[in-house]
Amino acid sequence: MSVPRATAAVSEQWVGGPFGDSRFKYFLIAPALFIMLSIALFPLINLLVVSFQGISIIAENKSFHGILNYQRLAGDSRMWKSLLHTVGLLLVALPIELIFGMAMALLFVDKMRGRQIFVALLVLPMVIAPIVAGATWRLMFDNQFGPINQIIGWFAGRDVTIVWLADSSFVWPAILATEVWHSTPFMFIILLAGLAGVDRSQIESAQIDGASAARIFFKIILPAIRPVLAVAILIRALDLFRIFDIIWALTRGGPGTVTETISTFTFVKAFEQFDTSFAAAVAITVVLILTAVTIYALRRIEIAR
Amino acid sequence: MAHIRISSLHKYYDSVHAVRGIDLDIRDGEFTVLVGPSGCGKSTMLRAIAGLENIDSGTIEIDDEVVNNLAPGDRDVAMVFQNYALYPYMNVFDNIAFGLRARKFPAREITARVQAAAETLDIVELLKRLPRQLSGGQRQRVAIGRAIVRDARLFLFDEPLSNLDAQLREGMRVEIKQLHQRLGKTMIYVTHDQIEAMTLADRIVLLKDGSIEQEGAPLDLFERPVSRFVAGFLGSPSMNFLPAKLVENGTYLGLRFADDVTLALPAAASQRLASRVGQDVTFGVRTEHITPARDGELDDGFVDLLVTIDLTQPTGSRTYASFKLAGVAVQAELRAHDVEQPGEQIKLQIDMNRAIVIDPSTELVI
Repeated sequence: MSVPRATAAVSEQWVGGPFGDSRFKYFLIAPALFIMLSIALFPLINLLVVSFQGISIIAENKSFHGILNYQRLAGDSRMWKSLLHTVGLLLVALPIELIFGMAMALLFVDKMRGRQIFVALLVLPMVIAPIVAGATWRLMFDNQFGPINQIIGWFAGRDVTIVWLADSSFVWPAILATEVWHSTPFMFIILLAGLAGVDRSQIESAQIDGASAARIFFKIILPAIRPVLAVAILIRALDLFRIFDIIWALTRGGPGTVTETISTFTFVKAFEQFDTSFAAAVAITVVLILTAVTIYALRRIEIAR
Repeated sequence: MAHIRISSLHKYYDSVHAVRGIDLDIRDGEFTVLVGPSGCGKSTMLRAIAGLENIDSGTIEIDDEVVNNLAPGDRDVAMVFQNYALYPYMNVFDNIAFGLRARKFPAREITARVQAAAETLDIVELLKRLPRQLSGGQRQRVAIGRAIVRDARLFLFDEPLSNLDAQLREGMRVEIKQLHQRLGKTMIYVTHDQIEAMTLADRIVLLKDGSIEQEGAPLDLFERPVSRFVAGFLGSPSMNFLPAKLVENGTYLGLRFADDVTLALPAAASQRLASRVGQDVTFGVRTEHITPARDGELDDGFVDLLVTIDLTQPTGSRTYASFKLAGVAVQAELRAHDVEQPGEQIKLQIDMNRAIVIDPSTELVI
């Protein structure tokens, strides 16, 4: 009984494509696949190999060092601190961006006069490269000539000379402000698209049913945009975990290592101190963490459907 | 139970004048159907009554209380939407219970009421399912369940059957009518389907371009339309319209068509139209009033006509046959086997008592 079935399956496969050869499709995707592999997979494998070697500025030691680099990073308190900074910034910035983005999206989801102009203006920060945004905000935060101090001065009624980017108690709020300014538009635009897709009659039906605005938001709107929300949070969480440009432009991780994140730490190790194999080990660790988080998150989103 | 009074209601969408000064009284327990072509303002009116649409001027009263500034939730109305508007992440029970929970009913009463509504609509075994696991007809029932469970004083239906297939639509039409008879609630129903309007309504309000064209009992509108629009909108197939001239024809008047065929008008019509002799008019007659001529003497007010059939459309019980009168295609409603083939000649009779004469300049029936 199983023999004729197997035959049928093979013949179906062979008549499947318009060229009569099902293997032809692999030739078609081969060039694209080759490029993908050479720019994504090959460097990753090379990174993995390097992380087990002993390459640094003083020695190009390509012999197998086992997990020595990983042991080093596990005991490196500067690495742990930079990881802590990264996660800390993520946990503070993401909810703020989410709440601001949602509030703005709720404000602009209804049709109103001048809506297109407002939305376009609010989305502007997103079109600025993060490194440029960082450089601009560095000037804004300048202790002598920056407008931030000047504006605070107007309210305070005297000259204010906060050294935003060099004072360890002000530097994180400055970074947070820049990051929120730059990335809230992303949340805003994604959530606006999500809200626009919510079935209007469901909301109207709930209104007629006498539901309060809060009940409509939490019971109707939020469940409806949940997949969009989850993807937006995932994308922003990954971005925040890798944050580099803004911090590099504002503080280079300073003062000292107060604002060092995992990305700036890796950069310093790899391209300033040329501790190559160690930096590779850090990079591999980050890749593992992010992959695990992403897979978990994607599974959760799938289940939520 | 509720009676509605709408006075000089106006609504604009930007520069579009969607509702142009509507006055309407709806009596307690009445089933009113708002019908008209798309863009006539019927849905806007319904949504204005529900409170989903702001109005630009006029008043809407429910039970002598002006509700213009009342939120939808405070008007004590229930509404069934065209796309059902079920909450996709809640099961049927939670969907039906939503309004009761929003109004903070005690849990035990919620259960009892949902159960009762589900029994009324025969959906008890579906209570644990999600909307996407239901068929179109079942979703429609859930949507109606959500409306009846709150026992609101006024029910609004916004084209509730237009997403269903023809067979299901007929079944649900019967159920909605039964529901109205059982609950005795005031219901306002919007549709563009004249059959739905005719079959469901105690009273039809026929709208055109944001104004009421005619209102009244279904058969009133059907038999005594005030305008060409009403005459053409109600009835299927549509009424036949032909240009003609009002002429003297012996004792009474007649209608002369382009090819010099003249049809005699009965006494009553002749008297009514006496002052208009010589005017161009539009003659309107329904398909069912053009029938095969019987042998012998014609009844009073009937005229006969020998025609050649161009086209037949058998429907089973009836055959619609087209012929040309003064170059205009006219449809007659014949019995199934009166005409077998196009090209056949047949003698037809027209019931001129039921025909209408329209002034083409005003489009009104005269």
